[in-house]
Amino acid sequence: MKINTPEFFSALAVEMNAHPERYQPLGEADMDVVIVMRDARRSPFAVRLAFEGIRCEHVVEAEADSPCEYRLDGPLAAWQAMFDDIVANGRATGLHTINSLALLGDDIALGGSDPMGLDKFSRFNQTLQEFFDGASTLLALEVAP
Amino acid sequence: MSEATKDYSKLPAVSPLGAPLDWAWLRGAKSEWGVRPKPSPRGLTMLDIAVGTYGEVPDHPTHRSMAPRGADIEPGTPDMGYILNDKADVWADNTRELYEEAVARQWSATRDIPWGELQELDDDVEHAMCQLCTLLTEVEMIAADLPAKWMWRMNHEFIEAKMFLCTQIMDEARHAEVFRKRALANGGGLLVSRNGATSLLRTIIEAKSYTQATALMHLLGEGFVLDLFRMGELIAPSEVEKRIFRMCMQDEARHVAYGTMHIRYSVEHDPDVAEEVHEALDHGEMILTEFGTAPDVSTALAVLLAGGVEHVEDKGFPMSMEMTKKQFSSYLARCERAGISRLERTKIPLDMLGIDIETIRNAGRTA
Repeated sequence: MKINTPEFFSALAVEMNAHPERYQPLGEADMDVVIVMRDARRSPFAVRLAFEGIRCEHVVEAEADSPCEYRLDGPLAAWQAMFDDIVANGRATGLHTINSLALLGDDIALGGSDPMGLDKFSRFNQTLQEFFDGASTLLALEVAP
Repeated sequence: MSEATKDYSKLPAVSPLGAPLDWAWLRGAKSEWGVRPKPSPRGLTMLDIAVGTYGEVPDHPTHRSMAPRGADIEPGTPDMGYILNDKADVWADNTRELYEEAVARQWSATRDIPWGELQELDDDVEHAMCQLCTLLTEVEMIAADLPAKWMWRMNHEFIEAKMFLCTQIMDEARHAEVFRKRALANGGGLLVSRNGATSLLRTIIEAKSYTQATALMHLLGEGFVLDLFRMGELIAPSEVEKRIFRMCMQDEARHVAYGTMHIRYSVEHDPDVAEEVHEALDHGEMILTEFGTAPDVSTALAVLLAGGVEHVEDKGFPMSMEMTKKQFSSYLARCERAGISRLERTKIPLDMLGIDIETIRNAGRTA
């Protein structure tokens, strides 16, 4: 499954929604996020994720500059490296956590026009990290015979 | 409701022991009898029950007792001595949301940190982590002491704001707990506590008004600590510390969200408050800068950023500078959002730090 597709993020949403036991201890999270993956060979891929409570309720392909509370924007290769690390280790490790990547900002940048929206990245960070970590199950399943 | 059809007139006027009885409550409240809040999918939230007059928070409450907002209040209730009696003194439009979020996202420093995964670290890194944890154990409780100092002075009509501050106090207790535990857990222990931290904390606790206090604590102090916790991802030597910093970061961001929106609410409703906040921040920024550049704080952070003393000069200090720039940028952007632009007034050397003023100004405009 290609990571720069709505199907991939829909699968992550299905994975999250199927495992409330992982998200319930973290508590509810309400946030409206746009993920942007850039590739010099084509126009950027962007997807809008709407989290409500302990579910990811909406996954919609979007424009890179769609309004949102915050956006995470970076090259496809950086996103691929993050998901590769998640698949290899079962969860993001070292500097491949989304907070580390966005903090350094060298590859994946955290952006948004409202500081209160940007702070939601911090307020619900562990939920977002678990959401991305869900890729370990997805991609591991895909390569299974 | 059937209460209107029932006759209570024959109920006894005295108890079997002869004490006088009052059945007035049985006739129901004056206006909201039958109003039935509907639970949302996640349960019955404070936002759900903010209906009818129960949801109306008065700008200037007439009562100064602990009577619940929306009850029929007997005349002549005692005055509790509240001094924060205007909504603008304590309110923020996100108070109910943040309270629910805080309750839902509580965690345990005992159970939710994988303490068993702690690794033996090089002495320099363990010392640096312990020094940072010593500092954080010391400073975190100010964000519990300060609301506690002011809460009993807040009019009870602003119950949601008080409830949110209760969650903050619990959060800060947990932060003090988790950093104390981390300092001790790997054999390093608590290290040096210097005067600078206490000077900063005294500035906060001795603020003249609650809004000045919240500017110093939520916006300035906790804003900086929030970014320090974000930075924790980079300075954490193992997954244990990463988890600690990430969980603390979530809590801290709620406190900053309350403080930012409280100041905004306060300034919008009383523009004179802006100067009061500016005065507090003029002083606070100076003290915080002295504290942040204190020799032990900056060296411990630099060692952690460099992964040890070996690369402290070529890696640790440059990364530390970059982080400082991010901290000040976030703080100034939040000030814009709060409606108290500091760009023309701050003494922070923005040029030296390479902070782009226009980007920050735009954040305030578009928010």
